[in-house]
Amino acid sequence: MKNIVEVKNVTKEYKELKAVDDLSFVVKEGEILGLLGPNGSGKTTTINCILSLLNINKGTIKIFGKIMKPDAYDIKKDIGVVFQEVAVFEELTVYDNLDYFCGLYIKNKKQRKEYIEEAIALVGLENYKKFYPKQLSGGLLRRLNIACGIAHKPKLIFLDEPTVAVDPQSRNNILEGIKTLRDRGATIIYTTHYMEEVELLCDRIIILDKGKVLAEGSADELKELANMDEKITVEVDHIKETVIEKIKYFKNVHEVSLERNTLIVTYKKGKNNLSELIDLLKENKVTYSKIFSERPTLNDVFLNLTGKELRD
Amino acid sequence: MIVFKTFWNVVKKYKGTVILYTVLLLVFGFLNMSTKDTQTDFVNSRPDIFIINKDKDGLLTKNLISYLGENSNRKEIKEEEDSINDALFYRDINFVIYIPEDYSKEVMEGSNPEIEIKSTGDYQASLASRMLERYLQIQTIYKKKETDEENLIEAINHNLKTSAKVEIASSLDTTKTTNSSRYFNFASYSIMAVVIFVVCLVMSSFKEKNTKKRIIISSMNYKEHNRKLLLASFVYSSIAWLLFILLGAILLKDILFTTRGLIYMLNAYLFTFCSLTIALLISTLITDKNAVSGIVNVIALGSSFLCGAFVPSEWLPKGVLQIAHALPAYWYINSNDLLKTIEVINRESLKPILINSLVLIIFSVLYIILNNIISKYKQKIG
Repeated sequence: MKNIVEVKNVTKEYKELKAVDDLSFVVKEGEILGLLGPNGSGKTTTINCILSLLNINKGTIKIFGKIMKPDAYDIKKDIGVVFQEVAVFEELTVYDNLDYFCGLYIKNKKQRKEYIEEAIALVGLENYKKFYPKQLSGGLLRRLNIACGIAHKPKLIFLDEPTVAVDPQSRNNILEGIKTLRDRGATIIYTTHYMEEVELLCDRIIILDKGKVLAEGSADELKELANMDEKITVEVDHIKETVIEKIKYFKNVHEVSLERNTLIVTYKKGKNNLSELIDLLKENKVTYSKIFSERPTLNDVFLNLTGKELRD
Repeated sequence: MIVFKTFWNVVKKYKGTVILYTVLLLVFGFLNMSTKDTQTDFVNSRPDIFIINKDKDGLLTKNLISYLGENSNRKEIKEEEDSINDALFYRDINFVIYIPEDYSKEVMEGSNPEIEIKSTGDYQASLASRMLERYLQIQTIYKKKETDEENLIEAINHNLKTSAKVEIASSLDTTKTTNSSRYFNFASYSIMAVVIFVVCLVMSSFKEKNTKKRIIISSMNYKEHNRKLLLASFVYSSIAWLLFILLGAILLKDILFTTRGLIYMLNAYLFTFCSLTIALLISTLITDKNAVSGIVNVIALGSSFLCGAFVPSEWLPKGVLQIAHALPAYWYINSNDLLKTIEVINRESLKPILINSLVLIIFSVLYIILNNIISKYKQKIG
């Protein structure tokens, strides 16, 4: 697979602040790359730099093998962008908004009409063509925002937190739409701070913090970095220190912590850990109201790498 | 084409504003047609006078009273000083004339008997005073020639009836030109409101931060996109101008199809263009729609009030007019007011209007330059 986007040693500075710090990565054709990081980690700035909306201080950016510049219209014609904030005309209907934004790329009226209909179907706005944005719910408005960015059938799509403040139904619709776009052959760069979405959608993930790449790989590869394979959480009524000491001596245990009544046990490897722990609690007559086991999340990876939560 | 089409789709959303200001102009136009310019009509003023005559049988006295009666309203009140003073105080009468006993006889004998007066001292009293003075002057002049009382009266009356016939050798229909000027002066408000309000709102939609980003990253050249927007704004402003001209043609009829009418129209077009440059400047400075509507109201209304769009500029205080010089509407309205009174249209008479037009063009160029500087500065810091 060829490289669609190549970012090499890119730095973007605002006076004292380095928003993007010597950033390098590539995006392969047909993949969905997730840019994951907390607010202020440099995700949106990275996208704005790639799109030449911001001047970079150092580095090079290539799209489709060509240097990206503000006047690189031959590159821009194959790019679609869905910004975090909704960018539509309040005075235009759903259809007219799509007609305008698609019309910036496609001049042929007949072709444009076909594309618009496809985009409307993709985001499920068939019944809202004549609605004005003010008449749409937050979720429907987000769907319109996406449709406006992808109606011209771009080969490379940037989706900057498209599901922020969206109802579950619209979120599912949007995520399904993104998968469809990928299936049609589009390459997607997806930024979010929702780990679940990244795990669900992305073939590859880049974790950013302070404008730098912290880690890169598939979801499973990244989870290796969490130094654990299983996490068991128990809400105990009361537990003695001696019992906690016994847990620590279990074979795969990585760490045991007790905060108020919540006992968290992390394991390096995940096999038969839950039943073993339940047996021990029973033997020592420790009563509990809740017990559950989890696989490590990307938040655990981030926590392990930076010492802070993704949503901090 | 899509930019042009979208511009008009957005304009459609603001058609209510266009209709509102057009209706305002139409209503004003109709009201204007039904009022006359008081400056052009002469109304003969008749003061209210009271005469106390002590010379009942004098022929000269009778003639004086007859003359005064023809040119004023003779009032009857009690011949008591208190009543007379009250009547003067309450302006029931403006002027009191006391004709002494044997007035006619004494005049014919060559003496100069004194006629006492009392007056309110106002404009009407001054008219009555002048009337009396005129009569007495003529009487004094003819008395030197005539010794016979009847001949003297005949000579005085003959002289009083001789009046200069004044004909104004003018083909200018001041009612029509006044109506036209008033219409175009008021149109300055409608033009400013319709052009600035709508263009600013439409432009702020296109220049909204995120929409602008979307346009910039598209495959359409952003400069080309903006050029199309400017062209659409220009066409829109021209249509707005045409609408007000058509409305003017309906209300003012034939005067618009004359050279004077053509100048009115050209002046309005220059002002429309200047309003467009103001609109573009505002839309570069401010993109918040709520702020835009507030600012436009202040500019359009403020400018119209200060420059004499609603009231004749001669009624405005000097200080206000000095400030108004800094606004394009002043020069536009000044041209309309000049056009109202120009008798013959030629190079010389049009000179002040051409200067006003030049000032409007300078204003427009200035706004365009400012707009470019601010745009470039904003791009740089953006």
